[in-house]
Amino acid sequence: MSPVLTVEGVTAGYGRVTVLHDISLEAGRFGNVGLFGPNGHGKTTLLRAISGLLKPRGGSIRFDGQDIAGLSARAIVGTGLIHVPQGNRLFPDLSIADCMALGAYSARARPHEAENREKVIKLFPKLAQRWRQRVRTLSGGERQMVSIGTALMSHPRLLILDEPTLGLAPKIKDELCASVLEISRGGVPLIVVEQDIEFLLELTQQLYLVNHGAVATEIKPGESLDHGEIMSMYFGH
Amino acid sequence: MSALAEILFGGLFQGSLYAMMAVGLALVWTTIGVFNFSHGVFMMLGAYIAWQLVELGLPAAVAFPVAVVVMAGVGWILQASVVRPLIGRPNIVLVVVITTLAAGSLIENGALTIWGPRSKQIPALIDGNTTIGGVGVSLHQIAIIVITPLILAALWVFLNRTRLGLALRAVAQNEDASHLVGLNVTALYGLAFAIAASLAGLAGIFMGGYRFMSPVMGSDPLLKALIVVVFGGISSISGPIFAAYLIGFFEAACSYYFGLYWTPALLFGVLILTLMVRPEGIFSSRSRGLA
Repeated sequence: MSPVLTVEGVTAGYGRVTVLHDISLEAGRFGNVGLFGPNGHGKTTLLRAISGLLKPRGGSIRFDGQDIAGLSARAIVGTGLIHVPQGNRLFPDLSIADCMALGAYSARARPHEAENREKVIKLFPKLAQRWRQRVRTLSGGERQMVSIGTALMSHPRLLILDEPTLGLAPKIKDELCASVLEISRGGVPLIVVEQDIEFLLELTQQLYLVNHGAVATEIKPGESLDHGEIMSMYFGH
Repeated sequence: MSALAEILFGGLFQGSLYAMMAVGLALVWTTIGVFNFSHGVFMMLGAYIAWQLVELGLPAAVAFPVAVVVMAGVGWILQASVVRPLIGRPNIVLVVVITTLAAGSLIENGALTIWGPRSKQIPALIDGNTTIGGVGVSLHQIAIIVITPLILAALWVFLNRTRLGLALRAVAQNEDASHLVGLNVTALYGLAFAIAASLAGLAGIFMGGYRFMSPVMGSDPLLKALIVVVFGGISSISGPIFAAYLIGFFEAACSYYFGLYWTPALLFGVLILTLMVRPEGIFSSRSRGLA
């Protein structure tokens, strides 16, 4: 299988600070991709560069053969590459119904609005009970469901999740993991950034360790790794 | 009886004008997070454009709507020229205070050059006078009292019941997340400014119909609108609307009992008290958002 997303030699940062140094990776060749590594080493910055929130200073990002580096976030949403940002803050004073309508805002997603809404409700029945409630009043797990649900309303061809389990209780994490797995089985490839390695091993087939703004190690499917090895990658030898 | 009627009528009338102005300020603040100090100039320009169109021979029923639409364009252009290039700067709030003040001053002096210092007046919405509860009032003022709530209600319906209004509310709450659902954030910023400028222009047309116009006619209403948004809070548009009418009634009562001379001092007294007790405004929460 050819990769869905190819990141080649991307450099990006904020102001005078460079966060990503010539980073390269591929996604979609072996299934879902997981990114892990210490905080503050560029995982979120990489996702922001991919989804157009941050203009890369150099390098190329190809999604399904099309070069998307430097396109606006809106244009990238139009290609079906959908990014669920970290922290499930989303739109605190909008209702779940409003968020779902926003998810289907792009011209590409609008014709599929009803069908995608069915999907979201089937995946997260809890949301249907709180449909008119403001996002602010929901629990952390429910807010994460809204974030992912909104992304599904955008009719994704590739879904990027940034630390979906951040701050969630273990039981909620497991439920969320099952739901995300179901999305993946429905034919949407994933890129997941996570600190919880168990969660990543459950969901993804290929892992990248991101360190100092570049890929430090790539773990292909079939290559085993144990907890100790990951710990030593995090903290050095 | 006539005292009550006078205060009630004066409050409703002033409150209507303040509400039209304050809602635009609040709309721009909630969506973009900046204060637009050229808002008073929008009011003046709306009135002068309407006057010019009437002078050219257009009937008021055509001239007024055209002036309001032209003002939407003016708002859009101002946003694109002195606000949009600065978005993303860390000190944007202060910088935009300066750029909008500068643009306002430029437009004000431009109006002075084009139209001259002589006071002008545009036709009233409805000619004639009547008496209500022993108070003589003009039909123009009554028309304003009736039309303003309808326009504000239409704005509410637009924000809360349409897809585009939903997009504006979304941008107000989270800019990054708005980009990620594919909203055209720059266009929505332009739209917020365009709506605000139209409403201010309409307020100017209302004012030019019963008071003489001058190039500086917008500065006092801008000041009052600022008091209203500080008093009512700027995190929503309903807060400033209620506050506008409250301030209107307060002003009417003050000028009736204490005289026009003391009204501004009392008004600022109430403002200072509000800032001490509830700095986020009396109808407001601490977060930004249109509701």
